[in-house]
Amino acid sequence: MKTFDQTSSLFWLLVSISVFVESLRLGIGTLKNPGMGFLTFSASGILGILSLILFFKASFKKEEVKTAPFFAGMFWKRIPFVLIVLILYSRMMPILGYLISTFLLMTALFWILERKKIAFVFVSSILSTLVTYLVFSKWLNCQFPDGLFGF
Amino acid sequence: MGYSGFEEKVGFFDNIIYGFQVTFQPINFLFCGIGVLVGTLVGVLPGIGPAGAMALLLPATFKVSPTSTLILLAGIYYGVQYGGSTTSILVNIPGEASSVVTCIDGYQMARQGRAGPALGIAAIGSFIAGTIANVGLMFVAVPLARAALRFGPPEYFALMCMGLIIVTYLAQGSILKAIMMALVGIILGSIGLDVITGLPRFTFGINELTDGVGIIPLVMGLFGISEIFVNLEESLEREIFKTHIKNLWPSLKDWAQAKWAVVRGSIIGFLLGILPGGGAVIATFVAYAVEKKVAKEPQRFGKGAIEGVAGPESANNAAAGSSLIPLLSLGIPPNPIMAIFFSALIIHGIQPGPLLIKQHPDLFWGLVASLYLGNFLLLILNLPLISMWVKVLEIPYKLLFPLILLFCLIGAYSMNNVVFDLYVMIFFGVVGWIMKKFGYEGAPLILAYVLGPMLENSLRQSLLISGGSFLIFVSRPISAIALGIAFLLLLSNLFPYFKKQHEIYEEFKE
Repeated sequence: MKTFDQTSSLFWLLVSISVFVESLRLGIGTLKNPGMGFLTFSASGILGILSLILFFKASFKKEEVKTAPFFAGMFWKRIPFVLIVLILYSRMMPILGYLISTFLLMTALFWILERKKIAFVFVSSILSTLVTYLVFSKWLNCQFPDGLFGF
Repeated sequence: MGYSGFEEKVGFFDNIIYGFQVTFQPINFLFCGIGVLVGTLVGVLPGIGPAGAMALLLPATFKVSPTSTLILLAGIYYGVQYGGSTTSILVNIPGEASSVVTCIDGYQMARQGRAGPALGIAAIGSFIAGTIANVGLMFVAVPLARAALRFGPPEYFALMCMGLIIVTYLAQGSILKAIMMALVGIILGSIGLDVITGLPRFTFGINELTDGVGIIPLVMGLFGISEIFVNLEESLEREIFKTHIKNLWPSLKDWAQAKWAVVRGSIIGFLLGILPGGGAVIATFVAYAVEKKVAKEPQRFGKGAIEGVAGPESANNAAAGSSLIPLLSLGIPPNPIMAIFFSALIIHGIQPGPLLIKQHPDLFWGLVASLYLGNFLLLILNLPLISMWVKVLEIPYKLLFPLILLFCLIGAYSMNNVVFDLYVMIFFGVVGWIMKKFGYEGAPLILAYVLGPMLENSLRQSLLISGGSFLIFVSRPISAIALGIAFLLLLSNLFPYFKKQHEIYEEFKE
């Protein structure tokens, strides 16, 4: 956890400095009339101090138990794949519409775990797309995008 | 008829009858039933969580009344507490964080062929505790709301500070990191238009950020998507303990052992649920510790003691009910789940606060009555349906994960019908996943995110009133006490005794 704490504390320090500077730009006002950057100025200031404390605490701490590496799980490679699929889905949904884009999304997601069962992937994707469309769009009146093809 | 006239003419019991009239309206009855069923399902299935489920169903409530909405959300919340025990007892995997402790003795009971009494006492204890919490809610919320009418910005500021500090103090990991997350939450909550000047802050020229970061994509990302990522890293196979569930009704000996555990669990849960920063999770740990402490044979704990199931399961349901008190009477959500309730009320144009009970008696008393109804429905539905929930457990996660992901996407999108919310959810999903790896918790962040704008308003108003003097916070008794408690809690970390106590608590939780 030592390296994790050092890295994360430096990240939060960077965030706090950015917010601190932006708060000053927004205007912190006076104590009698606090400005719109007043609270974020204070919060980022404290965050910066605590980040430094965490950094030094982690640096001087003797690590008793070895921390597992960041990508410790056996199947961590699934995550970047799912992430790309989700971003593509968000990008394509307004263009292709709910039905097509969701079918493609579900096919990709089911395929990640059940690569050998193509029929299962296909049927599950169609069913999940149609059922969610009926429940959320038709029954609960959610406004899904129609896309280029009008459905 | 205004509420003051209403209140004068009808008594306490008339209010309850009025509440039942509201609850038994077909739409509210239906929403109560859907809520408890969905809640139980969510509790049974690890992965989506009550916050995610509430966020998912929230858009479905836009066309119904705020009363129906709250009834649905409340049903989900305490349904989850019921459902979570099933996985803890049968699979040794807690469906929810509030059922972690139940695993210890519940699973051992199942291994000894006593899954039935374990599930039975969990359900009956939950029913009793839920009912006790409802009675407490009725008796405490109304006078507290009356008292809160005299609260000004300094009192609100101090109470919110105290709530945030308690949340960080009771955090499962490092307190330092929890405070940092609360500060990040305050910063995130400030994104969007400043309520006093009307000018944008931290929007970086992105129009969609003018209204701020949406709570639904934020919650779904931090709790839903990140949890899926954590599960995806591991093998998705899980082992279900095969046992024949019989005799759900506990024996007389079981009753004798568990009855006081239910009472103690209910009281502990009720008290910890009211506390800002408290909630069902903490209540279960405390209830278990108390049961072990008062037991004549503490060595039975961890080997299938029925009190180890009865106490925590009663505590989490009592806490679920009583955590509504600060929200409905003060307008302050005490935990992230109540923050979703808070958002739901705001979406429906209702300002949570001391005037809520006065201005919306249908909402308050309807909700109270729905808690009775929901608890009763859970008891009569869940005990006979236990075998169905066991079957649900057998659905492979590889089939569930794409569906949970799709539900999260639909929930985030349908809130405002904008794709930007999907990006926000994915972003916070990755952030939440990294946070889990680095030992940061999402709960203080969410609570601070919701309380942030209110905290800022109270602070700025207080300073305007006092002419820039911070003494206003210590010159008024309530704010002085609340800030004093917050200060003492912060200070307690510096003293070895309290630090040691916290470490013991951490070890116990591990």
